[in-house]
Amino acid sequence: MTLAQKLLLVDRRIIFLLVFLGALIPIIKPIGLGVTVSPPVESIYNYIEELEAGDVVMLSFDYGPSDGPELDPMANSILRHCAKKGVKIIGLSLFPLGGKDMAIARFSQLDADLGTQNGIDYANLGYKDGGQAAMKLMGESMVTVFPADVDGTPLPEIPLMRDINNYNDIDLAISLATSVLGEWWINLVNAQFGVDVAVGSTAVSAPKYYAYLEAQQAIGVMGGMKGASEYEELVERGYPDVAGLSRTATMGMDVQSIVHLVIIFFILFGNFIFLLTKREGGAK
Amino acid sequence: MELQLPGIGEWVAAFLTLAIFSFLYKDNKIYRAVESIFAGISFGYYIGLAKMNTLEPNLFMPLFSNFSEHWSLIIPFALGVMLYFRYIPKLAWISNWSLAIFIGYYIGVNLMQRLHGEILPQAKGTMLPLAGEPVGQIIGNLVVIVGVVTVLIYFYFSSPHKGPLKPISRIGIYFLMISFGASFGYTVMGRISLLIGRLSELVNMWARPIIGSIFG
Repeated sequence: MTLAQKLLLVDRRIIFLLVFLGALIPIIKPIGLGVTVSPPVESIYNYIEELEAGDVVMLSFDYGPSDGPELDPMANSILRHCAKKGVKIIGLSLFPLGGKDMAIARFSQLDADLGTQNGIDYANLGYKDGGQAAMKLMGESMVTVFPADVDGTPLPEIPLMRDINNYNDIDLAISLATSVLGEWWINLVNAQFGVDVAVGSTAVSAPKYYAYLEAQQAIGVMGGMKGASEYEELVERGYPDVAGLSRTATMGMDVQSIVHLVIIFFILFGNFIFLLTKREGGAK
Repeated sequence: MELQLPGIGEWVAAFLTLAIFSFLYKDNKIYRAVESIFAGISFGYYIGLAKMNTLEPNLFMPLFSNFSEHWSLIIPFALGVMLYFRYIPKLAWISNWSLAIFIGYYIGVNLMQRLHGEILPQAKGTMLPLAGEPVGQIIGNLVVIVGVVTVLIYFYFSSPHKGPLKPISRIGIYFLMISFGASFGYTVMGRISLLIGRLSELVNMWARPIIGSIFG
């Protein structure tokens, strides 16, 4: 067996170890690489920037804990942006496995960071089963879908919700989505009710949303941790007083860069060794 | 100096994370046990959530508080219960009535949703101008149009890909390959993000407090 053939049989656990170290080291000691903002993310920021104090953004937490590293930073940044602008936020979740708890955690974080008040600056309506059915019914009556908020307070008793009847009272809907829920916000809520929709998606789902963006069915798209880091950057540029708050996606992009280099190295290495063994085979 | 060791929640989270990671070295019993715990907790959580957030506020409370106004909720409730007749072989046919209504409803919803929300807007989004725009925009529009047409021809199986169809479908394959490459890149980023999430919690919420407590 030649050296090249031996290298082809390298134990995959060595690759796991290198990826693990590539991820671990920047977490322990962040590098602080720069962030470049792309137009699909900037358009969401600009849209919210043009809203006035008192306008309403609906933020749907359509993800669970496993997608938190990508979508939590998006939620934090959007909530901070809206809070700083005085834009009201209606939080809800249509994703069963943890969406409600993700929303509770993010609003608690917002209260701690910027001193917002439940019921006045935002309302957290909790989770509702049914996906498309819930989305469709919210176009007629919010209170039918969510009779009470996540704490059990009836909607008519929440100051923020008194003037909110249906999508006509919403200025923008944002879905932070895993699975197909983000698509439904676009092809149901945007298409049938004319609500402007933006989507923050996991990286795995991101490519399909660019087709909606190109067809002007969505006002913007944030894809994975990269999109989240871009929004963090925009909010910090626009509102320097939030600079001390956490920027987990930006820190995560250090890790992404290092690990991607490791993966690219192994793709090139594997192909090089493969070609080498093929050449040796041909020479025989 | 006061010790600030991680709380029990952090210890449990760290143990479960490391147990799952142990599969990367070798399949083992601890990994399988933790995997089963995860599946069980997820299922239990989902049932509790459906009861607390949907069944109680949207079904039981309206029915029990004002039956005369909300009596029609009995119909969807009965349809839901009928689904469970699948587990009684002699009465399994009853569940077909519920299924028929659910399938009919979702076909109706999805048909219009896909047509109105996807096919028409996406087709419209492909009808782009090839003149009267900046050069860069025209090139971009041309790429979209060529990409859509060639990929559609690649998936046209009613006649063999011979003659002029052959090179056109070949271009379609290249567009598909580029699309798969972009999807793969995003998938890698997504999976690394999950790793970052777990490692960040392990390091910042579990390992750092332990090291800090020991070494000050």
